[in-house]
Amino acid sequence: MESLKLLPVHPSDRGSQRCRLGPGVMSALGLGLGSPVLVSLPGGSCLCTAWPRSDLAEGFLQADLKCVSPGLLSQNPAHLTLDLGQLTAVPAHRLKSVRITVVVQNVDFKKRASPRLVHELVKEMLVGVQLHKGFVVNLEDFDTELVYVVVENIYPEGTTAGLVTSRTGVDIAGIQTVRHYRSQLQDQHREPLGGLEEVSAALREMLQLPLLYPNTLRSLGLSCPRGVLLVGPPGVGKTLLVRRVVLEVGASLVVVKGPEVVGSRPGESEETLRSVFARARSAAEDGPCVFFLDELDSLCPRRSSSSAPENRVVAQLLTLMDGMNRSDRFLIVAATNRPDSLDPALRRPGRFDREVIIGPPTSQQRKEILSVLCERMPVCPSVDLSELAQRTAGYVGADLSALCREAALHALRERSKESGEQTVGMKHFEEALKVVCPSCLRGSLGRTELSPVPWERIGGLEEIKLKLIQSIEWPMRYPEAFVRLGLSRPRGVLLYGPPGCAKTTLVKAAASSSHCAFLSVSGADLYSPYVGDSEKTLAQLFRQARACAPSILFLDEIDSLIGSRSGCQTPNSVQARLLSVLLNEMDGVGLKTVERRGTEQVLQADGGEESRTQEQLDCQEVCNKDVMVVAATNRPDCIDSALLRPGRLDHIIYVPPPDQQARLAILKACTTSMPVAADVRLDELAANTERYSGADLENLCKEAALLALLDENMEATSIKHTDFLRSFTKMSPSLTAQQIQTYLSSPR
Amino acid sequence: MSKLALSSLHQALQRSFASVDSSQKLWLGVLADCSPLMVSLGNLAEQAIALNNVQLSNTPLRDFPDLEDRLRFKLLQAIDTVLNRIHEKMSSLQSIRDTVTNQVSAVLRLYQQNAEDLDLHTVTQRSAVTPSVADMLEWLQDAERHYRQQFLKRKTLLHMLKADDLSLLEAAPKTWKSLESPSANEQITDTLCKVSFFMESR
Repeated sequence: MESLKLLPVHPSDRGSQRCRLGPGVMSALGLGLGSPVLVSLPGGSCLCTAWPRSDLAEGFLQADLKCVSPGLLSQNPAHLTLDLGQLTAVPAHRLKSVRITVVVQNVDFKKRASPRLVHELVKEMLVGVQLHKGFVVNLEDFDTELVYVVVENIYPEGTTAGLVTSRTGVDIAGIQTVRHYRSQLQDQHREPLGGLEEVSAALREMLQLPLLYPNTLRSLGLSCPRGVLLVGPPGVGKTLLVRRVVLEVGASLVVVKGPEVVGSRPGESEETLRSVFARARSAAEDGPCVFFLDELDSLCPRRSSSSAPENRVVAQLLTLMDGMNRSDRFLIVAATNRPDSLDPALRRPGRFDREVIIGPPTSQQRKEILSVLCERMPVCPSVDLSELAQRTAGYVGADLSALCREAALHALRERSKESGEQTVGMKHFEEALKVVCPSCLRGSLGRTELSPVPWERIGGLEEIKLKLIQSIEWPMRYPEAFVRLGLSRPRGVLLYGPPGCAKTTLVKAAASSSHCAFLSVSGADLYSPYVGDSEKTLAQLFRQARACAPSILFLDEIDSLIGSRSGCQTPNSVQARLLSVLLNEMDGVGLKTVERRGTEQVLQADGGEESRTQEQLDCQEVCNKDVMVVAATNRPDCIDSALLRPGRLDHIIYVPPPDQQARLAILKACTTSMPVAADVRLDELAANTERYSGADLENLCKEAALLALLDENMEATSIKHTDFLRSFTKMSPSLTAQQIQTYLSSPR
Repeated sequence: MSKLALSSLHQALQRSFASVDSSQKLWLGVLADCSPLMVSLGNLAEQAIALNNVQLSNTPLRDFPDLEDRLRFKLLQAIDTVLNRIHEKMSSLQSIRDTVTNQVSAVLRLYQQNAEDLDLHTVTQRSAVTPSVADMLEWLQDAERHYRQQFLKRKTLLHMLKADDLSLLEAAPKTWKSLESPSANEQITDTLCKVSFFMESR
């Protein structure tokens, strides 16, 4: 009795607005035959007239959705169980007049039918129907061109629902087409978009200006920009942005995906393109319209001299864009991630007037994106989004959503093991960070898997650690302090010192502590038998590193990789050319426009949207500006002097061979995993190992362990001090005093 | 009190069903009159299309002066006449529909006036010879909706017909025929059968 099962409506009841109930329920609610009743369903409610079921059975409900709230139009509720509280009797009124909007099937009818006819038809269709203010009446059962009637207002004032009789006045406020109406409906449930406010504001402005102020624009003699080219790497949300803006403005969207247009027969592609343009034009008669060309580069590549079929498509698009009248009120938006491969003729004003570059998001934007993504996830309050945003340098929107999904999956897996409350915590995000890497780094040659090395693993060298932390970690952690003192992030660090003194390990530790992208190159990656290939690879590496800045680019053994120009054998060797690339990339004239970070779009109409303060922008600059080049060498004299000037490798750090304390720390670090006998005196060893490098010391410990195994025939349980002493006598230091002297006297 | 209300309602229902019965016969008759008119309309449209396609100067008929214009005038006149007659038929359809609508709304109003006295048990009570009041009201509403729908569909069709859109005119007889819904007609006949005992019980 309390719960009612919702069944599909009987075919003969379709269009009758009846709601079939059991007589018991009807009398419980005080309903007579044909009394109006409001049924609230998930997603909306519908107004019906109560009627007993012909078999008088209780516990079921069949409602004909003739007059429903707009939310229920697209969905058809079924298999639901309602309770009695979801039915409310509505007082019966007779309406004096109603004000409605008519929704028709197509534009043709809208143009041809006289208002008198529409009025007459609508009135006859509505007689006998119960209306509710703000609801939509479905007229599909009449099988005519009229599809819906949207009830804008009903009179007498104060009533919310009532019956239309033959004496009710009907006032038609407007006529719309179904497509337009549906696109408006979708507007109401949309997903927010993070971090792209500026671009979307610019787009919105371009769409709305001609609609809001047509007269002003005409009197100024302005023609509105009608073409926008969105440029950005994959995954930054170009397509999503267009869809969102279109929904916000309430415009209709005509989408063309490049490959869909191309046909196999000659002339077919052009024809499809023309027909799509015609479709956009007819949609534009109805209201604002956006014509969206996704992946434009596949449709309009650079024209070649041969008579390729693409040439004709490009020509067709050009003529179509030129042939747009001033009265065609539609905006062409195209998106591409390879702007250089577009035909240059497309990119002149008059065709794509504006180019909007959407770069990979800055940390502020990443935070916004994350907060949007996490809005619907049960995220633990301990999750610090700004820290997460900092750690996801180089991630674009798509990567971030993959990250959140992965984190949620981790939480889910954990929960299936042990039942607990389901929230996504920071540890899940950390797990996800290991799995999801930024898409701009996928397939990059310098991408290295590195096992995190904590600073503590490196014994001694406190001063050098501090310097590295200063130049790598501080700009990330304390951007405001850097801005306050007018500092910018250092461009590069050169570590030099004798071999085996932990230069590479230091860089690893720096990379793992700063959580930024780490790219490492060796000679094998760069060299190629083709002329110019190595240089291209290096430039490409820098481009990728910039795309996911802040990042660390590590050039190990830079002396052999790049070399020096002075005293070189051949002036035009590969090394010299690589050097010139490196010099340019590190301190060149500027960046390509396509590589711009974030968006710097200045709005034309409203300048008041400058919400962010200058300081925040500056902080972002410090965080995101550059690629940090870290180079390591043990032959600093072989490096070209142009590389060593401030502005390129500004910090030149000498990594000395370990002193006694450092050696003790190294020995301790090396023997942590070894079972060392109690009599071993590491401090004594440290005192005696003058001029031993870190690698030597590690080798010493290994040797001692092997000797212990040799003596006790694979059953050794501990390493004694004598083993250490014996291995010590066998070894000699790899560094010589003279070598160290040359480093110290080195002029840098 | 409720007995009184019920019997008056029953009388009204009987009257309405009687009117539905006669209306249905009239309706079908008018529709039957319409279909030859529609067919001739289609014929005329076909002739007009043929006239548009033919080059009279290439035929032996070229000796007649102004033949094409005269023929077109004649055809248009004929189309006009037929359309006028169809519109006349439409107005008789409309009057039939109005009769039914009035009857049904009168019965409903009568029920609503007496709704206080007629509880749900009374209106849903049925016997071997008398269907329940709820059922009968439902049938009446269904019949009325059917007439209204049919009339509206045909009216929209006629409104969309213009003398200059010949292809639409040519297709008109087919479209007209497709608007008929035999199932709904059957349902009305069924309903009339179901209430036949009740009708005779007066």
